[in-house]
Amino acid sequence: MRLLKFLLRYFPPGIALEYTQGGDVKTKMIDLLDLSAKTDVKALAESIRVSEPMITESVMDQLVETLEKLQNKVCDSGAKRYYKYKTLQTHLLPLTNIAFDKLGKRCLTGSYDRTCKVWDIDSGTELLTLEGHKNVVYAVSFNNPTSDKIVTGSFDKTAKVWCSQTGHCLVSMWGHDAEVVVARFSPTQSKIATGSMDATAKIFHLGSGQELGTLKGHTAEVIALHYNNDGNQIITGSFDGTISIWDTRTFQRSSVLIGHREEISNCLYNFDCTLVGSSSMDKTAKVWDTRTDKCLITIHGHDDEVLDLNFDNNGKKLATVSSDTTARVWDVSTNFKQLAIMEGHREEVSKVCFSPNGHHLLTSSLDRTARLWSLESGCCIQTLGGHTDDVFSCAFSYAGDTVITASKDNTCMIWR
Amino acid sequence: MGLLSILRKLRSNPDKELRLLLLGLDNAGKTTILKSLASEDVTQVTPTQGFNIKSVQSEGFKLNVWDIGGARKIRPYWRNYFENTDVLIYVVDSADIKRLEETGQELSELLLEDKLRAVPLLVYANKQDLGQAVTAAEIAEGLGLHNIKDRDWQIQSCIATEGKGVKEGLEWACKSIKKK
Repeated sequence: MRLLKFLLRYFPPGIALEYTQGGDVKTKMIDLLDLSAKTDVKALAESIRVSEPMITESVMDQLVETLEKLQNKVCDSGAKRYYKYKTLQTHLLPLTNIAFDKLGKRCLTGSYDRTCKVWDIDSGTELLTLEGHKNVVYAVSFNNPTSDKIVTGSFDKTAKVWCSQTGHCLVSMWGHDAEVVVARFSPTQSKIATGSMDATAKIFHLGSGQELGTLKGHTAEVIALHYNNDGNQIITGSFDGTISIWDTRTFQRSSVLIGHREEISNCLYNFDCTLVGSSSMDKTAKVWDTRTDKCLITIHGHDDEVLDLNFDNNGKKLATVSSDTTARVWDVSTNFKQLAIMEGHREEVSKVCFSPNGHHLLTSSLDRTARLWSLESGCCIQTLGGHTDDVFSCAFSYAGDTVITASKDNTCMIWR
Repeated sequence: MGLLSILRKLRSNPDKELRLLLLGLDNAGKTTILKSLASEDVTQVTPTQGFNIKSVQSEGFKLNVWDIGGARKIRPYWRNYFENTDVLIYVVDSADIKRLEETGQELSELLLEDKLRAVPLLVYANKQDLGQAVTAAEIAEGLGLHNIKDRDWQIQSCIATEGKGVKEGLEWACKSIKKK
């Protein structure tokens, strides 16, 4: 084994060792989730050397330099001020969900006008209109990190896969009996998973569009779905109040996380898939251990329905937003204490995400604004105003330099 | 209303929760009727570029009323909203005599839609306060309502800006559902 070079991964922080073994080039990922401004980089380099025989004394200077670069980027907590950069204004009807590609150069918007559009962020121009669905396009996603394909899920009960360069529809996936409201690429295999209002999830072959299996068990609409990192497991959240964990090879349900008393509004994995977070109309959020399927904590505090939640990139903090107009951030690595409460929105908060480095929070609300918050102080740093109707979605690009917001007013705004 | 609440309102709802679809040409007064039903201020209404949803209680039912923009270019998208409709409400501007034929054409197309088959129809003859307004009976005649045999229907004259006649129409809607 011979080390070739170090590769950086900013969010969440980590380095990859690229090396040759028997003529093949391979990489090994080392997660550095605890890297902070206080980290002694030399000591960290030393500890990596001890556990990695590939790292010899001769590359230590280079390793330290790499780690310093990573530390500077990741721990820069300075608040960037965003300006309205472009308003994308050609959908005829309200927007639904939005998504970035890996590099933050393009974004997708789904709409009630039955199309999905692909936008060039730099120029604010429309690159492609994906036409073919016969009803609202609700779910949109790139197959990041390659971003050469797009999946859309529609109220017309189908999902479609498109070439992100040409806009050609590559394959349509049929079989659901009701609206498709979530569609995801498998992270490792050429498969697509969809969740539907028909209370099932399905797995399709990406190339042929053939249905490989149906995940049956929920007794109400499936509205959230995520793959774990190796693609062998899926979680689904349902309006029946439960979260199911499925084995994607057998299509069998391996466990059901029961405890919420009302509909699930969202559920997702943390970075290393050791935890599942779930939010519910029962005014609580829960954190579950995926190894034991036990609920580790029920988060009380919100006075109304919890509408969305998100983990930070390191998987150590959880943000929840609610109809009670607040956002809250919780420590999920140690004691589950509330770290911050963000008050300022005048109406319910519908979506939440962390900035890539985890220092800021982005929320969207029915009060027609999106807001940026400091995690440290809980204060609103900036109000992204300008939409003339409810803001439905918001997202950060991977590098955190761009924010997009999508609204019921039929426009999408790019902020830089 | 966030995307999630749209999904919640999309559900084929259990008993006592109904889905009413409010359609009609642009400027017929759909949004004003919606706001009047919800007892909201009706002085500031702008053309609907998409849709509005409000929940109203009536006769022991929870009514989720979907108000869809009526501009010509967005009418082809009305069918996005047909699924699970319990009552179709069609709003006509009684003073816009020039477009009576156009509104009749749109309505007859709606009545042919498979997803709206046998769905009770309530027609609001709105803007009865305007001088040139024709009566509800004349609107019914113009729309050919008497030829409808495949569903319950009712015409209700109203003045949405003053809230007159709006509640009465809704009461009929609830009764027609109870009959089913």
